[in-house]
This record gives sequence, structure tokens and C-alpha cells, in this order.
Amino acid sequence: MARIFYVTCPGCTGRFSCHYEELRHNKQYPLLCPYCGKRFLDEESPKVEE
Amino acid sequence: MDVDSQRAEWQTAISPSEVEKMPTAGLTEKRSEAHTEAGELSLRNFLSQLEKEHPAEVLRISRPVDPAQYEVAAILKHLENCGKFPLVYFEQPKDLRGQISPHPLVSNLFASRERCALALGMAVEQSGMELSLGYARRLKNPLAPVRIAPADAPVKQVVARGAECDLRNYPIVRHHEMDPAPYIDMTPVMKHPDAGFYNVAFLRNMYKGPQRLGIHMSPRHNWQIFRLHETRNLPTPVAIVVSHHPAFYLGALNVEPFGSDDYAVIGGIVGRPLRLVPSETWGEQFWVPADADFILEGEIPPGVREVEGPFGEFTGYYGPQRVRPVIDIKAVTHRRNGFVQHSFVGHRDNWFLGGIPKEGTVFNVVKGIVPSVKAVHFAQSGSCRFNCYISIDKKVNGETKQAALAAFGAVDFIKNVIVVDADIDPFNEQEVMFAVATRTQARESVDIIKNVKGNTLDPSQQDDIMTDKLLIDATMPVGKPFSARVQVPAAALQKFPLEQYVSASQLDSIATFLDSRRSV
Repeated sequence: MARIFYVTCPGCTGRFSCHYEELRHNKQYPLLCPYCGKRFLDEESPKVEE
Repeated sequence: MDVDSQRAEWQTAISPSEVEKMPTAGLTEKRSEAHTEAGELSLRNFLSQLEKEHPAEVLRISRPVDPAQYEVAAILKHLENCGKFPLVYFEQPKDLRGQISPHPLVSNLFASRERCALALGMAVEQSGMELSLGYARRLKNPLAPVRIAPADAPVKQVVARGAECDLRNYPIVRHHEMDPAPYIDMTPVMKHPDAGFYNVAFLRNMYKGPQRLGIHMSPRHNWQIFRLHETRNLPTPVAIVVSHHPAFYLGALNVEPFGSDDYAVIGGIVGRPLRLVPSETWGEQFWVPADADFILEGEIPPGVREVEGPFGEFTGYYGPQRVRPVIDIKAVTHRRNGFVQHSFVGHRDNWFLGGIPKEGTVFNVVKGIVPSVKAVHFAQSGSCRFNCYISIDKKVNGETKQAALAAFGAVDFIKNVIVVDADIDPFNEQEVMFAVATRTQARESVDIIKNVKGNTLDPSQQDDIMTDKLLIDATMPVGKPFSARVQVPAAALQKFPLEQYVSASQLDSIATFLDSRRSV
């Protein structure tokens, strides 16, 4: 699998995995929290694990 | 409406005399009634026969369930924890609006090799290597599909187009905790824009809205077709076969080369030509399976991407959230009260389904190079994709690597190949590991091939495309003395049968150790 990073949702604190090359530092595509549906940029996350 | 009362209605779609005229590709397997009695290749006929002949294989759940709220996944997981893998027939699933749907939901259909054998018209006793060999034989006999008029196509009994389409009207399953939405995880069909062949593949489709799905494609056949359209700035037509007879799906997982027409290959696997009908959206420019229960038609617009995933994948791990194309739904066609199916991805339902076709394919390829190949097994321990065990009756040293390299070349999913002698049952993982433990020396028996195309969903893979392949030669050398396996004399086994010492009831009361059973 390609490189991933984990991000924590600023809304519900849920943690989920994202494709690094496609979504890290990508302002064009806000992330979608699978738990609460919030859309946010990775830089808005309180915690990014990479 | 129960299956039996539905059955008479559906049987009329194709007459038994029509079926008699259809070629059967010289198949020699015993055909069960589940495949042939009613004539029509339909899921409801299969379910009806299965309930009639193998009632223990089917679990009906009559109380309402909400698939989008993990209720179906929870029930399947509870059953799995009990070691039970029935086909589960949810009579009253809720749609995405939370209303009871008229479309029953079928789960876990492929979670036993025995049901897969029945789906291909074989006997349950043939569910081991015979099933894979039967599949392999049929692969060599593709049958061109036949074309019928929409009025004769069961899948056209109910048609919705354009603004009438609303995916919220159907029960769609949300499987795992990190899945962001319900997913349809059956088979999108695409057509090569120049060569005209059709490709059918299991791909995940995330619910995004009443008329929109996401689609994840690994860089395989459908992806190539999509890219051809997109580079020409054209939308890619796609028809998702959400529900059909299980033989259709087993056929869909063939690993024939890009360029093979999957409708013909599937016809060969099924043993009769698929019946096709013009799609609603593209007419005779794109044909769809007439006997399916449920089809979604849509287009992938060029240049459009949205976030999709994470999704619990066949590996048993989540694939990460990615940027992926979308499908805009243009039409929905189905039988009246048509079934909806899903695959419980990352569990047995999804593993056997993928493994059986690959076993047949690898057997055929290896057979051409190492004629003494006996069996090929894709074990559950590797999600029926990554770990491939091959038994050969080795005649000369070196055949082992020939067999392993042929397997690697045939199926890029394969990551680890263990080749064993003919006395080892590759369907019994304990025996395979016994051979590894006692017939290998790492410096002589192990090879690693670096940087070969793998699978993007393998969580251990460091590169997006490439992986390392492991080859273990767990065979005894030819032309050199090797210790013999211990054996209780056959004559003694015959002379002292167990029944003389232990009654049947005593035997039944003794615990059976699971690890001594065949590990299919």
C-alpha cells in the first residue's frame, strides 16, 4: 500500500487513514470524516500522524 | 413474497426447451438442480433450490434490519464469531431513508466453497480442488453471449431513468467502522471504446448522493478502460451488476488477459451463453446482463475527482481515503422486488469468491509448464489472494521454481508461493507448514524476487505498485535420499477398524480439534 497518514477530525476527534501522496497538504480536496461527515483540511486537524 | 411463490413467475422468462438447445461447453461435472432445473440463470432460482435441497445453508432473518447502520454487518460478524457462515437472506432490509424496502438483501452467498460449487452446478463433495479444476476447464471454453429484446429481459421489469433514479430507495450496506458511507461492492461492467470487449470486475462504490457514487479502481482492466475514455475527454459508461446468479460473479473474477470479453468468459464458466439486453442509457452501444436482478447504469465524467474511503478491504485492513472518480447514475433497472446483493469484504464471503477462479487459472498456466501439477490452493490466511500453495509430483529438480514463477506471472495478486510434494494436501495449511518445517533449508529453499507488480491494498507494501515476492520450495530433492514420513501400516489400519473399539456415539462425543480439519 502507498504511504498513509492518520488524521484526527477536529469535529468529533475520530481518527482515520488517508493516502499521503493524494491528500497530505492538499487544499483542493478537504478530507471527509467517516464518523461525523465533517469536511476539513488536514492542517485544521488537531493531530496528524505521518 | 417468498421465493417459492416468486419462482413460477420467474421460471417463465426462458423455457426449458431453449435451455436444452444451449451449448454446455462439453462440461463433465455433475450438474445440480440448483443450476439447471428452472432454466433461467437467476439468483431467485438458485436461492429457491438451495433452500429446498440444502436448508441448513440458508438463514432467513424476517425482522427489519438497517444495513446502513451496520446492523447487517453486526449480524454477519456475530455469526462469524460462532464459526457459522450461512447465506443470510434479509427479508425486510431498510432502504437509505430508513423505510422497509421491497428489495430483499442477500449476504454471505460465497462464504462457503460448498455453495460456490452448487452455484457452478457441481456437487458439494466437489468443493475442493475439483471445483477449481472445473472452473479451469470452463475457462478454456468461452461462450459468446446471446442478445435478446428488452421485453424479454427480467432485469427490465422495472426501469427508472434520469431524475427518477434515487439510490436512497435501496438497501445498501455499511460494513466497517471506518467506512464513511454505505457501499455497493459488486461488479461494474465497462466496455473498451475501440476493441468493443466488456470487462467485469468487483470494485467498491461509495454512496455519495441519490444519483452519485464514488468508484475506486486499482490499475487493472477497468481502470485502463476508464483512462482511455478520460484521455479523450469522454465520459466512461458503466453498468453495475448489483445482483445476479452467483455463477455470474464467480465468472466475473476470472483473471483472463486484458482484451478477453468477460461476457463470453462468464458464459463459459456458467456453462451457457449470457443473455444480454441493450442498456437504457446507451442502447445497443452497451449491452447488460438480461437475467440480472438489479443493475445501475451511470457515467464516470472525465476529470472529476472527489475524496472516497477509507474502506475495509479484502485484505482485512482499511484502504485509506483517496481522491477518486465518481459515477453519475443515469438509470436503474431491476426485476420486480429484485434482490440486492453485497459481498462482506474482508471476510470469507469475499475470500473464496476471489480464490477459486485464481486457483483454476494458476492450475492451467502451471500445467502447461509443469505437467505433474496436482493442485493449487489460495489459502484463507492470505485472504485467498496472497498465499498460493502448489503441489506437484516432482520429476526433476528445478520444476518447483518453474511452477512458482508461472504462478507469479499468471496472477499478480500472489505474494508468497509455497510449492509442496504430491503427498502434501495444499488445502490443509497445517500440512503445508509441516512441509516448510521439514523439507526446507532457508539458504537453499527460499528465493525473494524484488520489485514486482503487487496489489495497492497490501498494507505491508511500501510502494504503490511494486512488492516483493517470496518463493519457498518445500519439496524433497529428486535423486537424493530423504527421510521417509512415519506411517502406521495400512494393513493394520484395515485389520483394526476403529468401530471395533469405539462406538459412533462415543466418537461423536469426543471433541474435534479444528486445526486437524481441512483448512479451506
